[in-house]
Amino acid sequence: MVDTASARKAHQNHKVALPPATDLYNINSLLNEDERMVRDTVREFVKEQVLPIIGEHFEAGTFPRDLIPAVAQLGLLGMHLEGYGCAGMSAVCYGLACQELEFGDSGLRSFVSVQGSLAMFPIWAFGSEEQKQKYLPKMASGEFIGCFGLTEPDFGSNPSGMATTARKDGDSYILNGSKMWITNGGIADVAVVWAKAEDGIRGFIVERGTPGFTTSDVTHKLSLRASVTSELHFGDCRIPAANMLPDVRGLRGPLSCLDEARYGIAWGANGAARACYESALDYSKTRIQFDKPIGAFQLTQAKLADMATELVKGELLTLQLGRLKDQGNAHPVQVSLAKRNNVRQALNTARVARSILGANGITLEYPVSRHMNNLESVYTYEGTDEIHTLVIGQAVTGLAAFE
Amino acid sequence: MNIVVCMKETPSTTAEKSFSPDMRLERRKEDAIPNPFDEYAIEEGLRQQEKHAGSTVTILCMGPATATDTVRKALAMGGDRGVLVSDDALAGSDAISTAHVLAAALKKIGFDLVIFGNAAADAYGGIVPSATAELLGAPLLSYASKLDVDGSTATIERQADIGYNTVAAPMPTLVSVVKAINEPRYPSMKGIMASKKKPLDTFALADLGIDPATVGAAGAREKALSAEKVSTQRKGEIFIGNEGAADRVVAFLVEQKVL
Ligand SMILES: Cc1cc2nc3c(=O)[nH]c(=O)nc-3n(C[C@H](O)[C@H](O)[C@H](O)COP(=O)(O)OP(=O)(O)OC[C@H]3O[C@@H](n4cnc5c(N)ncnc54)[C@H](O)[C@@H]3O)c2cc1C
Repeated sequence: MVDTASARKAHQNHKVALPPATDLYNINSLLNEDERMVRDTVREFVKEQVLPIIGEHFEAGTFPRDLIPAVAQLGLLGMHLEGYGCAGMSAVCYGLACQELEFGDSGLRSFVSVQGSLAMFPIWAFGSEEQKQKYLPKMASGEFIGCFGLTEPDFGSNPSGMATTARKDGDSYILNGSKMWITNGGIADVAVVWAKAEDGIRGFIVERGTPGFTTSDVTHKLSLRASVTSELHFGDCRIPAANMLPDVRGLRGPLSCLDEARYGIAWGANGAARACYESALDYSKTRIQFDKPIGAFQLTQAKLADMATELVKGELLTLQLGRLKDQGNAHPVQVSLAKRNNVRQALNTARVARSILGANGITLEYPVSRHMNNLESVYTYEGTDEIHTLVIGQAVTGLAAFE
Repeated sequence: MNIVVCMKETPSTTAEKSFSPDMRLERRKEDAIPNPFDEYAIEEGLRQQEKHAGSTVTILCMGPATATDTVRKALAMGGDRGVLVSDDALAGSDAISTAHVLAAALKKIGFDLVIFGNAAADAYGGIVPSATAELLGAPLLSYASKLDVDGSTATIERQADIGYNTVAAPMPTLVSVVKAINEPRYPSMKGIMASKKKPLDTFALADLGIDPATVGAAGAREKALSAEKVSTQRKGEIFIGNEGAADRVVAFLVEQKVL
């Protein structure tokens, strides 16, 4: 048995060094070598390749397509899937990659989340062997871009009401309806679309160029500007029956994809929060007002202390969630809890960081307003904050309050 | 072609540095990374391997036993196997001792082409490549900004203030590279997974037939007396007037690899 009292005594004379401001709980020490390597590699990539260009893309409202080959080369597309050209990494590694990508921009992280968790994952989990062979390696290499169509103009939080239909006709299905707010839609080569068939909700792989399938991009967005968001239209769109995902039926299909993606989002929010916190911390030490750095004022310190605390909490939450997921023991309610908490706190951190930067905070010179605006989308997509509140509420009371 | 890249483990450039009473850098395992200058050497090794079918790349490192993780980091970029020379007696080695150890390890491994970074980011002595070449009786093509290998000859371009020198040497040869030579790749996720399965041998001094008394702190010929932090305050340089100011700004930007 460990003699804790004497161990404590032995430690009494040992002076503990002040932890770094961006890792106050030494979470670094909870990561293994692979995990650190993934984090550091993606962090470096973002610093070198993403940060210098992302502000301009945000301003222009364009997705940085030129980054796709590099992101694919890094092996980030479908990195948590096994086989078919994917690296087969752990959930924690995948989470860390999302975190570092979103330190850059939520739009880039969204691209990777949609490709890996929403488009590749359903094919990997529910597809036929032929479908996997045909699509996954090309999606891992970035040759095919994927999107995920669940939300419709009239059905957001309650996708079960969807109006898009798939009618069987001989060896084909005929799709009718439209999907709204679809990330990557306009640049996608492959759309994974959920529609109502005779036997319930089914997933279909629709390739760009299929007659009856068109897309139009959503313009004039004030959030996720460096990301493509589109509407998908299906008008008597005939696809081979072999393009249906055979191994899942009902809402469980899309919901299990969302569970994968929002797991990554919970991590991603840490990255956006850290970017805002670091920016505010840095600024507070150099901006002089009333002959003092503004970081020397108690009001600023209170803001920074709250941001630092929430960042630690968010990071510990996702790390434990990732460990549970790697053991196969993560429950969807835990994913809901982490997504809700971390995005909510990241949004708050972004807003408070913006206030610390004063007027500079509203520009694209600093990342905070960009993150703040982006996080408004992240707050809503993949289950709104309110819906996750209801999921947690149902889990703890046993009573559903959705309707 | 048998390519060996020498890689030192250094603390991450952003890690807090601290020193022991005898002025040795205190190394924390979680801060260790491949020496950033050596990334260019690794990249060049991998590019030569891609150009010359059938070549192998070995990452050679002298360092603490825990440096296996850092060798694996290098192997995540690519390469076939790692060799770590590690021995308690090596702690506190100076550059000449390091060169002795690397030369012995290189003889044991065998080589056609050995690639070094031109300095280590922590000590910045910059003499290990030349000392190793001297001990091996092999040529050193130093400060290469371009490397071509054809059969039995290696040719480099060396960037000097006034232009390039083109220099050649017969193989086997050693080469040290500067940052201008390439753009190192990022380790890929698959590379990280694959690195765990690559063979990694550890040699002790006895395996290399080196007397422990001649290396490490015991055999060191130089001694660090003090270490001072570089001031991290921003420093600006102002170029005034029309006379050559633009040229100097451009030269600065080129030096910083901005242009
Ligand atoms: C940038 C962006 C990218 C997106 N990408 C994709 C994508 O790739 N694929 C995809 O399928 N979808 C995507 N979406 C859609 C997203 O998932 C939906 O916007 C989201 O599910 C919410 O739906 P809604 O916007 O229709 O809001 P609604 O469902 O209409 O909700 C409006 C408000 O009512 C609240 N509300 C609804 N029901 C309840 C309730 N029972 N109790 C309490 N409050 C309730 C909500 O929480 C919200 O506050 C994206 C959205 C955005 C903004």
